[in-house]
Amino acid sequence: MASSSSPGTRAASGSLRALSDDLAAAVERAGRSVVAIHARPRIPASGIYWRDGILVAASHTIRKEQDIAITLPDGTRAQAQLAGRDGGTDIAVLRLDSNPSSKALVPASRASGDALRVGSVVLAVGRPGDEGVTTSLGVISAVGGRWRTWSGGEIDQFVRLDLSVYDGFSGGPLVDAEGNVLGLNCSALARGTPLTIPTATVERVVDALLTRGHVARAYLGVAMQPVRLTRALAERLKLSETAGGVLVVMVESDSPADRAGLLVGDVIISAAGNDVAEPQDVAELLGAERVGAALDLRVVRGGELKNLSVTVGERAPASDVRRRGARS
Amino acid sequence: MTSALALAAAESSLHASVAAELQDLAERLRRVTVRIHTNGHRYDAVGAGVLWPTDSGRFVVTNAHVVPPRRGDDAFVEAAPGRTIAAHVAARDVDRDLALLSLPDLPDEWPAPATIGDASAVRVGELIVALGHPFGVGGALSVGVVHAVPNGDATLLAADIRLAPGNSGGPLATLDGAVVGINCMIARGLGIAIPAHVVARFVGEAMAGL
Repeated sequence: MASSSSPGTRAASGSLRALSDDLAAAVERAGRSVVAIHARPRIPASGIYWRDGILVAASHTIRKEQDIAITLPDGTRAQAQLAGRDGGTDIAVLRLDSNPSSKALVPASRASGDALRVGSVVLAVGRPGDEGVTTSLGVISAVGGRWRTWSGGEIDQFVRLDLSVYDGFSGGPLVDAEGNVLGLNCSALARGTPLTIPTATVERVVDALLTRGHVARAYLGVAMQPVRLTRALAERLKLSETAGGVLVVMVESDSPADRAGLLVGDVIISAAGNDVAEPQDVAELLGAERVGAALDLRVVRGGELKNLSVTVGERAPASDVRRRGARS
Repeated sequence: MTSALALAAAESSLHASVAAELQDLAERLRRVTVRIHTNGHRYDAVGAGVLWPTDSGRFVVTNAHVVPPRRGDDAFVEAAPGRTIAAHVAARDVDRDLALLSLPDLPDEWPAPATIGDASAVRVGELIVALGHPFGVGGALSVGVVHAVPNGDATLLAADIRLAPGNSGGPLATLDGAVVGINCMIARGLGIAIPAHVVARFVGEAMAGL
């Protein structure tokens, strides 16, 4: 370190310069897979070239479905069509009209699955227009388990960032210091807080959208709110003193719940053998794999216990994050 | 670079060498960054300025919004803590948000001017630093990355870096300590700087008119 104390205008050397070169190279590398998508007024949004002919983007940034203009990394224009979207995870899939040359666009290189670590240095990469790739630097501030968005989408890992995201960054990748993609950045899933949808989730949703056109989502057709049972009632039904449940406040007509005979006023105290205290406890049992299966519910109706079996249905695909239902 | 990294790792921990390099960089930028005080009550904000290299005499470049409105108005330039000298507003361009201050009574001992870099040669994602006096805190260093590279004369240099009032007029510099921009505003969280080549042209024009 002796040389670094000498004054003057020598070139920076050492670890800081090495890190800086790595970061710039990472942006350059990742930028070859990042496009600008012109599908909303004013500021275009970003998208990732995911696999041959297929782009992924944030669904809330796609306001048109046909003949969407795309700016490729080499500055040329291409055209794409919306192939499907999932409002729950805010992921949209676009199909390019013709496969671009490998000079113009290369499929994103993805980091391995265990690369998401709190404290890792990461870059958000975006292409919010024709002026080239842009970036911001930060760290992963939290990594959690599987979670469900407010619009019902299932996301494999919760990834929060300590990083500024700027206009047009939604749909762009979060990359590590080598430029490998860790996920898709999105600001619409948590009230504007930047989050990253991990690559595993993107891959799952892309597969579902390309094969079925939508992401299957199980549903019952009820609205619920938590209630506490009175001590006298809990004693009489031989439930624990602190027993709670969720009160059914709405049953959609001709829904799976309706067909199973669930009524407004029923209090669900268990589902599939698990105690229920919050609507979330029921929602967590409604993964895509449940569609068509029976869900056993234990309810309190008119002061008595009653068992019901609901055949879980599939919710009609929500076309946009805006048109979500908060019901399970 | 691999050898530099290996050397750094062998000598001490990586973070210690990074910290030492940043310290050194901050020290060098403090020598070419001044603090600007003005006595007009409306303009009595604390801003920063850069000792700009010119052929004749020593000049300070800052933002137009940091100095008083008229040519010939007085400002005071503080180079090291306590070393304050009078300056005149030699030129002021509100459109480019640039001002040139002349220093008529230069003391014998005065720091050498800044080294100027090429703003269009920086790379998106490369580390970049700013020196200034955010909220009046003297000589503070901010670290960030280049967000967007200026394209020609019309566009500005954008950096993902945390700036505050008081960074205005101060340098945005590469890790080599070369000044590539003059910080001028914060737009939607981005630090915006006037590219060095635009500043150089302004200085050239201003000097021709003196």
